[in-house]
Amino acid sequence: MIDLVNVKKRFGAVEAVQGVTLHAAPGEILGLLGPNGAGKTTTIRMVTGYLPPTSGSVTVAGYDSVRDSLKLRSQIGYMPESAALHPEMRVVDHLDFCGRIHLMDRRRRRVGLDRVIERCWLQEVRRRRVGQLSKGYRQRVSLACALIHDPPALVLDEPTSGLDPTQIIETRKLVRELSSDRTMILCSHILPEVERTCDRVVLLARGRVRAEGSIPELTGASAGTSVILDLGRGGFSGPATEQWLRDQPEVLSARSIGESDQFLVELASRGGVEARASISRRIIEAGFDLREFRSERPSLEGLFLRALDDGADKEPDS
Amino acid sequence: MSRVWAIASREFAAFFRLPVGWVVIALYLTLTGVVFALGVVRPGQPASLRAFFQISVWLLTFVAPAISMRLFSEEIRTGTLEPLMTAPVSDWHVVLGKYFGAVGFLVAMLAPTLIYVVTLAMLSTPDYGPMLAGYLGLLLLGLLYLAIGLVASSLTSNQILAFLGSLFFLLLMRALTTNGAQMVGPPVDTALYALSVDLRLAEFAKGVIDTSNVIFFLTASVWFLVIGVVSLESRRWR
Repeated sequence: MIDLVNVKKRFGAVEAVQGVTLHAAPGEILGLLGPNGAGKTTTIRMVTGYLPPTSGSVTVAGYDSVRDSLKLRSQIGYMPESAALHPEMRVVDHLDFCGRIHLMDRRRRRVGLDRVIERCWLQEVRRRRVGQLSKGYRQRVSLACALIHDPPALVLDEPTSGLDPTQIIETRKLVRELSSDRTMILCSHILPEVERTCDRVVLLARGRVRAEGSIPELTGASAGTSVILDLGRGGFSGPATEQWLRDQPEVLSARSIGESDQFLVELASRGGVEARASISRRIIEAGFDLREFRSERPSLEGLFLRALDDGADKEPDS
Repeated sequence: MSRVWAIASREFAAFFRLPVGWVVIALYLTLTGVVFALGVVRPGQPASLRAFFQISVWLLTFVAPAISMRLFSEEIRTGTLEPLMTAPVSDWHVVLGKYFGAVGFLVAMLAPTLIYVVTLAMLSTPDYGPMLAGYLGLLLLGLLYLAIGLVASSLTSNQILAFLGSLFFLLLMRALTTNGAQMVGPPVDTALYALSVDLRLAEFAKGVIDTSNVIFFLTASVWFLVIGVVSLESRRWR
């Protein structure tokens, strides 16, 4: 349904996206994860037809983003992160305008408008001006705009940003409902959000795909590599301990958890049990008190951090 | 065409949802009203709207940038341009829609001035030919100035910069094609005079509708709209 094949995007000397290939099947929710500057927004903009790729191909429902740009765009509903709306317009007028630029006739617009107002819980504010709404309501209006023409593909950038906990749960439910008959790409920084909503995840860093697969596949691949250490510092400060851990050959990443003496450490998976034995010996030899050493349940967060470190390692020297 | 109409009607309505639209209309009607009352409706004067058209040409130099400054700048600033450009609308649809919305506002601003024609008709027997030509000239000038303002607005997210940029361009264009042409002399002055909107508007003021003048304003407006489309398209490559 949504296919990107070896897509590159260059802005002057900067190559923001460097050969991304991904596929989202009908009925699938694909999570797009990555830190700032990873190339997520540029990738999304190419999927929505806003930016043409420098090379490679982007197709949605069989329409090419360059040759059939208008047809491709008619297949997509796009909800940008910032809820970009016209503040002077009333909610119903805004939704009606979105329907009109998607060439919906008056009858279809009326039906579509009632449908999205109900689905996005906008009944109370339908006559209010967008500029008078809270951030949560603006997010919902933005989602309603993306849904008004009932597109087969949806691209949602941070759909729960600014919503209260009840609305977040409702939005997750709505996203799952919507995915039953359409393809979705969901872009988010909130990892639990992605874990609970998406069928599959693509992790981007520095313009490249660093990991891809279902969440059990991805976290299963890293099983046994995340450990939590509780250390008596033996005169070391917290940051110094963290740095000492990072300097060890078995360690891929290390960071302090809260204000305690606990550290989340990602070990090289190729080291297996030996890596754990080896790091234990080094900790004791260095004079730390090893109070706890336990395997952490594999998480998307750990995977995220490790993928970023991998990306940094593979980055050519400038 | 329905996409252009959708964008144009949204744009037109936006002028009346925001204070800036009402302020522009109020200022224009107040100033032209003062000129009409003091300069036109005077005993012994010919029943002509020439003074009104002269002041309107000057006012348009300021009013057109004020109308056009928000066309794209506001959309770029608030980020609404991105969802619009990801809808199934081409760059031409967007540019024409916004342009026609602004032209609609200009017409809505000029429409109340027809009361001046009615007033003159009640007080005397005016010659309607120069009035018709004057209104046509004013409308054509507005089309050109709004197209120029649209280009300026497509280049920046700052409305004030868009206003100042198009105002500066219009003043420079008028200065170059009048005083500038006098200073440089032949043969360059011929080319500059050919581009002068003031000389062409003088023809309209006399009641002469020369097709070449009409074509000049329309062609120049289309050229600036083409530049507007190129400017918008270039955002996809930056």
